[in-house]
Amino acid sequence: MTRKRIRSNRRTFLRDSLSVLGSTALVQFVPGCGRTTSTTGRGKITFGSYADPAQNVLKEVFLPEFEKKTGIETEWVEADFSSWFQKAVNDGQTQAGAFDIYVLDDLWMPRFAGAGYLANLEELGFHPDTDFVESALDLGYWPPKTGPRQPGIDPKARPTLFGLPLIGDVQLLFYRNDVYASGPPATWDDVLRMARERSDPTKRQYGWVTRGVKGNPVVNSYFVLLHAFGGQMFEGDWKVAFNSPAAIEALEFYLRLLDYAPPGVAEFDSDQEGQTMLQGNAFAATMWTGWCGQVDDPNKSKVAGRISFSVPPKKVKQVAKLGLFMTGIAASAPNKQGALEFFNWFHSSAVQTQFARAGGTPCKVSAFKDEDSCRKSRWLPETLKALSIGLASPRTADWYKIEDILGTALNQTLIEKGNAKRRLDAAASEATAFLKNAGYSAG
Amino acid sequence: MKESHPTIMSGPPGTPGPAPGWSDGEVNTSADSLALIEGEGGQAPPQRPEVAPTRRRRVPLILLALLAPTALFALILTILPLGYAVVTSFRSFRFGQPVAFIGLQNYFDLFRDSNFYRSLGTTLTFTIVATTVEFILGMMLALLLKEEFRWQGLIRSCLMIPMVVAPVVVGIVWRLLYSSDVGLLSYGVQLMMGHPISVLSNPSLALPAIILVDIWEWTPFMFLILLAGIQSLPQEPFEAARVDGAGPWSTFRYLTLPMLRPVIVVAVLIRALDAFTVFDQVFVLTQGGPGMATEVSTLMVYKTAFRFSQFGYAAAMAVTLLILVLFLSAAISRSLQGQVRQV
Repeated sequence: MTRKRIRSNRRTFLRDSLSVLGSTALVQFVPGCGRTTSTTGRGKITFGSYADPAQNVLKEVFLPEFEKKTGIETEWVEADFSSWFQKAVNDGQTQAGAFDIYVLDDLWMPRFAGAGYLANLEELGFHPDTDFVESALDLGYWPPKTGPRQPGIDPKARPTLFGLPLIGDVQLLFYRNDVYASGPPATWDDVLRMARERSDPTKRQYGWVTRGVKGNPVVNSYFVLLHAFGGQMFEGDWKVAFNSPAAIEALEFYLRLLDYAPPGVAEFDSDQEGQTMLQGNAFAATMWTGWCGQVDDPNKSKVAGRISFSVPPKKVKQVAKLGLFMTGIAASAPNKQGALEFFNWFHSSAVQTQFARAGGTPCKVSAFKDEDSCRKSRWLPETLKALSIGLASPRTADWYKIEDILGTALNQTLIEKGNAKRRLDAAASEATAFLKNAGYSAG
Repeated sequence: MKESHPTIMSGPPGTPGPAPGWSDGEVNTSADSLALIEGEGGQAPPQRPEVAPTRRRRVPLILLALLAPTALFALILTILPLGYAVVTSFRSFRFGQPVAFIGLQNYFDLFRDSNFYRSLGTTLTFTIVATTVEFILGMMLALLLKEEFRWQGLIRSCLMIPMVVAPVVVGIVWRLLYSSDVGLLSYGVQLMMGHPISVLSNPSLALPAIILVDIWEWTPFMFLILLAGIQSLPQEPFEAARVDGAGPWSTFRYLTLPMLRPVIVVAVLIRALDAFTVFDQVFVLTQGGPGMATEVSTLMVYKTAFRFSQFGYAAAMAVTLLILVLFLSAAISRSLQGQVRQV
């Protein structure tokens, strides 16, 4: 066997290096020029989402079904909540077109719709029917249908549909039906009374559990109480109202409930709150409907069958906190028609009913009322009631900042087990200063 | 001691003489080699051979061509984003309004922001305490494990484990340990004192708890670098010191520490800069709470940019932090070099 003698000099080295570099770059570049094309010829739609088990039914059952029905391929890309938010914002800002459909927290709608990251669904030809749960559908409009509008938004602009509800998530009262033997507590005072009577920390039995960690979790916990006691976040044209007498009374009541909560709830997030209920250590909590599917599973719950659901109790009002999973078609979506086809298909009442029967939380009234669905998912009737009295976080892109200020104050109040008025006043001053600086009247 | 005879104890130029704790003339004879190694303790550092003036050498084109891609990448990945961040810091990003140039307004707002100063204080406390403890523990471990012994490899490998675990995973593991309801720590305290302890919801304990996590995770890094540094030191000065009757403390203080100076500077600098930008553990463990007790600067920048969408303000914070980091690294470097010189 003869070996070919290889001569190497500067020129051949340079030539070979450049050709290797060039081919490598080409290999990287070519697939990046466009997304992988569909093998079926009807295109592909890419979903971007945060990871959440509430979407499992959709991913595992309904997307394959959609592919089969329409011949449109689907791809599901997900990340944790914060990472997905960043990715989606980047995609929206750069109009990169990496995704066709964004899955969004309802809090993000003002930011995404207002910044032009979402396509106008009405212009694309989507017209919602009357079967949608009204409060859920309203969250997809921008500017908002009700309430004050943030600076820079034309006060006379017509609300336009940019998003649709995907999962009808809302806070329900989860309560132990063996403790509340005569039915769910009608008022918050009933919750406090039962907690006082039945709590026994030596046996790790607590009348109440809540999320107290700063930011969004503790604000969501407080939100229901605040409104139940007749308070609100803002009055009129963005005047901060979370330090009103009703708001202070609500927070002081929250602190009284805390006497019957597990130690350390100021560091609890949803996972610890849910686990406390599932382990049978607490009698009541306001939790997202995403937990409902686990309460009857003996592998996950020590009190399977002993947790029931109801709309949150009332004081002077009865409200529930909305926390919907929304979807919108990206303004830069490469396949808007495919995405629209998915919306038309998935949001039809027939598919929504199938979705509910498969364990999903729908957003159509008829699906909530379907007997088979209610038999399988016994929380659906209460979920529909809660959605109908549900309130969402204030519709402004600056809500996160306000939530951070209020969330820090609430967390400090929980830790100090007092100073409700002082903390809320300080937070209100800080929030007012921020809003005024940002151009809100806030007066 | 003769002025012309360099010793390992000699201080900075202008402060000749023996350092305390080591008798005059005991190690002079063996210090020549060290002076050559250190190049600073001696009065006459080794001189480079004089190069005769020659014609100016031209940089070959091939070298420039080969360096160009790296330079281009550095420009694209480092310089341009940095420049963009600086430009962004002069702009206002208000939702619903066009992006506007506002000059130094973001910086003026920042310097009036009490939360920023509070977060800076928290970050500096975290950095100083964590780096100091990690250095001390890392040095002790390195000195302990520098000798050959049985199971040495196994012990060293075990010590490395925390460092190779992803910071987020470390955060989750420690969150479970600290958890007031099911945490091991709380359980232990309850057994001993009869009541559980809430570490992460206690403003006095939350920051120390996060510092402890950082120490657990990054002491091995300090240990590894210092061990490598110690093992690369020449043995002759140590043998000479042993012959001259120097004890372990004297050997450490007058030989190991000064000779290890460059390694110490690098290790402390890397750790301090890393600690200054801590994010993952705080994000997973406390989200900056309870209250503002663990709100470090990076978390504040993250929230300002990605939650509040105030990109201009966040960029001003980031640029200010960058300048502070540069000052911090210069200060650490000068301080450490100065201290070791005085030894």
